[in-house]
Amino acid sequence: MSGAPATPPRLPGAAFSAARAAWNKLRQRLGWEPERQALGETQLFLLLAVIIGLFSGLAVVLFRVAIDWTRVRVFGSSLTPPPIRILLVPIIGGLVVAFLVIKFFPRVRGSGVNQTKAAVYIYNGFIPFNTVIGKFVCCALAIGTGQSLGPEDPSLQMGAGIASALGRRLRLSREKVRLIAPVGAAAGLAAAFNAPISAVLFVIEEVIGKWTAGVLGAIVLAAVSSVVVVRWFLGEQPLFRIPEYHLVHPAELLAYAALGVIGGISSLVMVKLIGYARPRLKALPRWSQYFQPAAAGLLIGVIGLWLPQVMGAGYDFMDQAMHDQFTWRMLALLAAFKILATSLSFTSGTPGGMFAPTLFIGAMIGGAVGSIEHHFFPWLTGGVGAYALVGMGTLFAGFLRVPLTSVFMVLEVSGNYSIILPVMISNTIAYLISRQYQHTSLFDLLSRQDGMGLPSMEEGREEVTLHVEDAMRAYQGVVLKLEDPIQVALTQAEASAEVFVLVNDAPESWRGIKKDELRHWAAHMRQEDPIADLLPETNLPLLHPDQALYEALRRLGEWPLLPVVSRADLGKLEGVVGLPDILAAYRAAG
Amino acid sequence: MEPERRCPRCGQIIPWGSEECPFCSERRGYFWSLRRDTFLVVVFVFLILLIVITGFTVRRYQAMERSLAQNWYSQGEQDLKAGHAGAALADFRNALTYSRDNSLYQLRLAQALVATGRVPEARTYLLSLREREPGNGPVNLELARLAARAHVIPEALRYFHDAVYCEWDGDPVVQRRAVRLELVKFLLDSDQKAAARAELIGVAGNLPPDAELHTQVGALLMKAGGYDDALQLFRQALAAEPRSALALAGAGECYFQTGQYAQAQRYLDQAMQEDPHLTRTAPMLETTRAVLDLDPFIRWLGEQERAQRARKAFDQAMTRLEACAAQRGIDLPAASGDPLQTLYAQATTFQPRMRQRTLSRDSEWVSNTMDLVFEIEKAASQGCGEPQGLDLALLLIAREQEGARP
Repeated sequence: MSGAPATPPRLPGAAFSAARAAWNKLRQRLGWEPERQALGETQLFLLLAVIIGLFSGLAVVLFRVAIDWTRVRVFGSSLTPPPIRILLVPIIGGLVVAFLVIKFFPRVRGSGVNQTKAAVYIYNGFIPFNTVIGKFVCCALAIGTGQSLGPEDPSLQMGAGIASALGRRLRLSREKVRLIAPVGAAAGLAAAFNAPISAVLFVIEEVIGKWTAGVLGAIVLAAVSSVVVVRWFLGEQPLFRIPEYHLVHPAELLAYAALGVIGGISSLVMVKLIGYARPRLKALPRWSQYFQPAAAGLLIGVIGLWLPQVMGAGYDFMDQAMHDQFTWRMLALLAAFKILATSLSFTSGTPGGMFAPTLFIGAMIGGAVGSIEHHFFPWLTGGVGAYALVGMGTLFAGFLRVPLTSVFMVLEVSGNYSIILPVMISNTIAYLISRQYQHTSLFDLLSRQDGMGLPSMEEGREEVTLHVEDAMRAYQGVVLKLEDPIQVALTQAEASAEVFVLVNDAPESWRGIKKDELRHWAAHMRQEDPIADLLPETNLPLLHPDQALYEALRRLGEWPLLPVVSRADLGKLEGVVGLPDILAAYRAAG
Repeated sequence: MEPERRCPRCGQIIPWGSEECPFCSERRGYFWSLRRDTFLVVVFVFLILLIVITGFTVRRYQAMERSLAQNWYSQGEQDLKAGHAGAALADFRNALTYSRDNSLYQLRLAQALVATGRVPEARTYLLSLREREPGNGPVNLELARLAARAHVIPEALRYFHDAVYCEWDGDPVVQRRAVRLELVKFLLDSDQKAAARAELIGVAGNLPPDAELHTQVGALLMKAGGYDDALQLFRQALAAEPRSALALAGAGECYFQTGQYAQAQRYLDQAMQEDPHLTRTAPMLETTRAVLDLDPFIRWLGEQERAQRARKAFDQAMTRLEACAAQRGIDLPAASGDPLQTLYAQATTFQPRMRQRTLSRDSEWVSNTMDLVFEIEKAASQGCGEPQGLDLALLLIAREQEGARP
């Protein structure tokens, strides 16, 4: 970022001058000398995290109100609106949203997660502020008019956008501006979910893609402050009223395993559907983009005539599913048609999130599985609500491929630790099925379709990390002592196959000498002098077999090889590693 | 895919969707010129402003939600009253969309589910409400009612008891008493009179000075067989309202059931005077009068009167015996071993000696005659159904005499 002008432009008017004079006077009276008391970059970053959390929380509160207000205005206050509205509102909403997106907010299309990742990894943390406005307006309209999308990842992107704008205007360093977007993302998501731990984990798992201690504190601060704001304005109640859970019988875990299998398959279907349809719809002529959201709206409206529950985010219906308000047939139908409706909405380029639909589908599948189990094995199964809850986590793990977040989300939302066993079983099965048959996760798939290559923690998990032991070889020489005379040392060195000979006098003190140097000293020095007088003072960097191989590369420097010693005994040589060994190991790993 | 573009001025990548470099083209107005600390102050001011705006907006929106919830709730109540349970169900669901945790709306939704015949759904819904609020009285009561409907007695009793000791809005004492009385009715319907009596004694101990309430609890106690306790309650009611027809009838019935027919007649007479339309009281009064007219064991009777009554009772018993035999097609003079025939044979041996002089001279003979009368009445009631009028009176005298004997 280039610097600001040296002198601030003066605003015209005597009022402003008077205000500035009063401000300066107040500062003098308070003894506030900002030049001397200026915050350091780190303190400012943490303060900014709190401010971002507060702003994100407020934005999300207003966003949620805007969505609900839009829904009430356009559909009426009934859960089952009149058929004509169900049919027309999504079409008109789709047209308006498409116009706004194409004409005014081109960056708000699609998933906010990838756009935030792109900001972090490609654009140095830059998210223009009009994206925040665009997301707010377009998503509130889209979700409020019945598109099958959720408010969570727009909230995430709004938080990231607010953070980016504040970071740039406070002239943080490029590194900090790059890090501030995920801080805002966590705040936005935490506020939308009312679940700070899950938000922090999601941002680390999916947006940043790695655990970085430098930003973790700020992310947590932002997430907590945004949740405080949301709870202050909208109340303490969680997104769902969670039913009580007990594991009735260990055999019940089989039912949860079945839920994992069904959840994994459903996740696959949804990813494949989106992966197939999205590039094809994107490739259609540009004019068609004005009508794609409306066409999706028409189809959703047709589904909505029969199943109005699939329209919008659907939190009320998730709550009903958790409280056994639907038959298993109805639950299965809702899951199937929600997959279709969400795929239509998302692939048509309508801005909005995938989190709420994922939770909806998961709740319906979970509820259906629970109801069937309950029907056939009433003595084995607990409440249907627990299955719906676990189903949410299952789809989250299978579809969004964030296994850690999915487990913690269920724990955090339910506040019940005893549910962890079914959650882990079901989520792991769904995750493994999804990964087995769809190698690229949804977010990676979307970013690749957009021509970007963004990293993720899952990608990191897939990477093979080589260790020193993979490149280490046996040392084929002698280990000299410091008191060895030059002639003796040379004789021993000549007998070894190594060009670089190690010298060890104490466990942590390893040095080395090239055979050529030894020959040179033998020719020019007294033969009986100890080699200690000739060796450099610097010890060789030590390596251990379990260390990452890139660490060996970093430490190798100009040395021909480095000793690999045991962690239990620094004097015990396990082997040596040199540049050719490292390169060979990398080549072998492909 | 859009190719990667870099800004020729600063070298930064131009994001997808942007026409120009955002870093170079960003409008740097007044805020960009501010020092960092000054900008932070501006941010704080803006934050406060946004808090105020958000607070105002949320309050407006929540007011709208409350109003919508109330409207749907009122609509639901109307629909429920009009018997449109399906419409009421949808209304209460809508109301709960805008006021999710309102326990009244939740309860009404459950009631609407019951009214639409979706009992299992209602039960699950109520159970989930109970999980969240185990101490919610109305929810426990609804669950108790559902269990009572399904005749699951232990579950019903558990929920009724929970409902009694739960939290109630309004006047909890009144609500708890109403629940206990409903529990008593359920216990009486389930033929658990001892348990019902125990509950009622508990209720009776905490009744306010209200004649109607005393009468109501007394009536239930009477149904549960607690005549002495019921009588006390009726007396308390009469102390407050001496002309209460129901309390007079109740007291009369208590006396009647405990065999104190003279007292019973007094109260039942008064009750009939206060309200001639008391359907249960009129036949009871008639029976009481019959008992008092027929009973030869009343202490103050003279020998003659006693003999006269025994003779009348004997004649009545013979009439009942003949009618019953005719009803069952039994030839009384024949001897085929039927109890009625045996009794008839006994009666025919009594008949020649049934002169009034003999009876008035021999009090043991009166007693023997009445024993035969009681035997006949019992056998007839077993073979030909519950008696009416004088026969009923004779049966009551028989029961009383049995109770009086060691």
